[in-house]
Amino acid sequence: MASYADLKARAEQAWTPIASPQKPLIKVGVATCSRVVGAEETLAAIKTGVKTAGLDADVMMVGCLGLCYAEPLVEVQLPEGPPVLHQRVTADKTGALIQAVKAGSAAGPGAMAVMADRTLGDVPPVGSLPFWQGQVRRLMANCGVIDPLSLDQYIAQRGYEALDKALRMDGEAITKELLASGLWGRGGAAFPTGRKWDFLRTSQRHPKFIVCNADEGDPGAFVNRNLMESDPHLLLEGVLIAGIATRADAGFIYIRDEYPVCVERMEKAIEDAYAAGLAGKDILGSGIDFEVEVVRGAGSYVCGDETGLLSSLEDRRGMPKIKPPYPAEAGALGQPSNINNVESYANAPMILRNGADWWANVGTEKNKGTKMFSLSGQIQRVGVLEVPLGTSTRQVVMDMGGGPPQGRALKAVQPGGPLSGIVPASEIDIPLEPEPYRERGSLMGGGGLVILDDTNCIVDLCIYFEWFAEDESCGRCTTCFAGTRRMVEILRRIASGRGREADIELIKLLGQLATNANCFHGQGAPTAVITMLRWFEDELMDHVVRKRCPARACAGLIRYEVLHQSDRLPMAEAICPTNAIVKDAQGLYHIEQEKCVKCDACREQAPYAISVVDEFGAE
Amino acid sequence: MVAPAPGRLQVLTRVTEMIADLKPDDVDLLKALHRINHEFHYIPREAISLLAAQFKTTPAIIYGTIDFYSELHLTPPAENVVEWCSGPACLLKNSAGIRRALEAQLGCQMGEASIDGRFELRLVQCDGTCHLAPLIRHRGKYIGPLTTSQAIEFARGLNPPAAEASE
Repeated sequence: MASYADLKARAEQAWTPIASPQKPLIKVGVATCSRVVGAEETLAAIKTGVKTAGLDADVMMVGCLGLCYAEPLVEVQLPEGPPVLHQRVTADKTGALIQAVKAGSAAGPGAMAVMADRTLGDVPPVGSLPFWQGQVRRLMANCGVIDPLSLDQYIAQRGYEALDKALRMDGEAITKELLASGLWGRGGAAFPTGRKWDFLRTSQRHPKFIVCNADEGDPGAFVNRNLMESDPHLLLEGVLIAGIATRADAGFIYIRDEYPVCVERMEKAIEDAYAAGLAGKDILGSGIDFEVEVVRGAGSYVCGDETGLLSSLEDRRGMPKIKPPYPAEAGALGQPSNINNVESYANAPMILRNGADWWANVGTEKNKGTKMFSLSGQIQRVGVLEVPLGTSTRQVVMDMGGGPPQGRALKAVQPGGPLSGIVPASEIDIPLEPEPYRERGSLMGGGGLVILDDTNCIVDLCIYFEWFAEDESCGRCTTCFAGTRRMVEILRRIASGRGREADIELIKLLGQLATNANCFHGQGAPTAVITMLRWFEDELMDHVVRKRCPARACAGLIRYEVLHQSDRLPMAEAICPTNAIVKDAQGLYHIEQEKCVKCDACREQAPYAISVVDEFGAE
Repeated sequence: MVAPAPGRLQVLTRVTEMIADLKPDDVDLLKALHRINHEFHYIPREAISLLAAQFKTTPAIIYGTIDFYSELHLTPPAENVVEWCSGPACLLKNSAGIRRALEAQLGCQMGEASIDGRFELRLVQCDGTCHLAPLIRHRGKYIGPLTTSQAIEFARGLNPPAAEASE
């Protein structure tokens, strides 16, 4: 049985050529976000390109830095030089990059930033990138830096040091340290993690289970995916520590089906940890046993509810259960269990390694530590970043993310999933922590910020959220499965121009009824609509009373018209999937409204000749 | 190309082999379903009674479980499955227009197959590749960011019957 010191010595040996390379080192970020834009092809092209160029260089894979908007990313480092990050290096651009390296330059075409606190020629330091300014990368410290498939590289970053420490600590001391740090659950409920672990620790009924909720189902959220793909051992170490602290017998990491790369990498991490004696029987010779396995979901949002997830583990429909009993008494397979989010577990190793005081030195008085956020929607820089809790929403959305595309104005932010509601642009200065969001009728959930600009319609978005809630309802509570359906019907009616003022009262009633649902899915379902009534009543009433959609997004309230004849109209005619654009005997084009599906393709082809006009009310 | 539908006996034999090592009360049902889905690209009906026997439960519980999850299907996929992302980032960038255009062009509604069984439109959940929004997926390839025109051209490239008829 190897001791931790042995593992560490081996790991440091493996890390030296990467930390201070003696020959050119090329790192290619490969994770879901970069794979879909060809990072694997880039990696293969660099490997063969280096060979054919006769270049003596090391090529390795790393995880994702979080700069999704600039993928595929390639980092080049020469001996004695700083690493230089290159953006959008698709396979066809690797040749030029390799030529640059061969010519003795770390900065090839597409050089974006120096991954150190200095410049190189005209390449700025990474800290000067707007996306980077204000980030405190703790959970993400290894993301895009190490090979996620390499146990050695993780250990070289002080990985599993906290596990080694935990093995020699009393369970109570671990939970106390966690409690002292102030860490609360990152999944949305914000319950103190240390106290939660203590419930399981004090439970005497075995077997006891640790469950990691990695079913990041919120559409538009991808922070857990980024972490599991880029640093799977960090999460594993956190889960192992939880198991040791609570003297649990086994752990399940429940990953959603849509994340195959996470499943693959977590399974590899577990396999390597078992082989090194870091998991399984007699961990590092301590006499403590703890088994871990990955469970792959199959596409269900309510399995992200803790009791829904438990049902899913029990070989049946993933329907949330009625509480009590709480999972600490009767959780997975009816046994005492602890369920936490990915980020909650991933923070534990850092707290044990560096102490609660260090961990709590960022954040606000009530909310300590950092939180990862993903940015998507109408934003210039789509990606994943990590900031201290309490950072202003404006800084993250407008400065780091760059705000909406040029020439458009921010309209609203959806802070954490379809059940979290909407916060308008006027409130953008509030800090990213639970209380200010709660005060505004919203919820800072798992960290998926979706940004809306002035081309988007709030009613349209609310239809989506309510449709989603209905589609993913498990079917237990009438207020949820039927309530969301009624809500969708009413909103669709409003969006098609048949809204009535009485509908507003119906919506409010449905919102009140929803509080009777069993789980948070049903209770949170109308949040989006309620926040719409609070912040965007004028826009909603425009739909209801004036039968018009100010953003011209609701298909039932607009129509496409040929405003004047143009030589681009034949192209519009050709693209139309329903042949709705026709030429009459005089050679003049018009749109046959009964055929038009309002897909917008014709306007893309002839933007000045075809326009979107209000179906009702304008005249 | 999709292989011809497997025969009943073939399914029974393969599924029995595949799930032989799995046990009830061991968090194994999802594993079993994934194995079957991986091999056949859907869950053949014949597999349900085998699963019920293996997991000591009723076919209704197994059927209910399969039906509950959106990534498990009870019918074989069409020759061309076009997956349309339903996520909010795509929605905010006119994915609804792309959906209507694809439905018209491919001759099938979302969640259905065209009458000749060659095309199928599937709604998929957001997997966080939002830098490509709005996007569709076809045979594991991500296509985006798409304009509606590009989506229509893509669908025509699959040679749908509607395009053939108009030519």
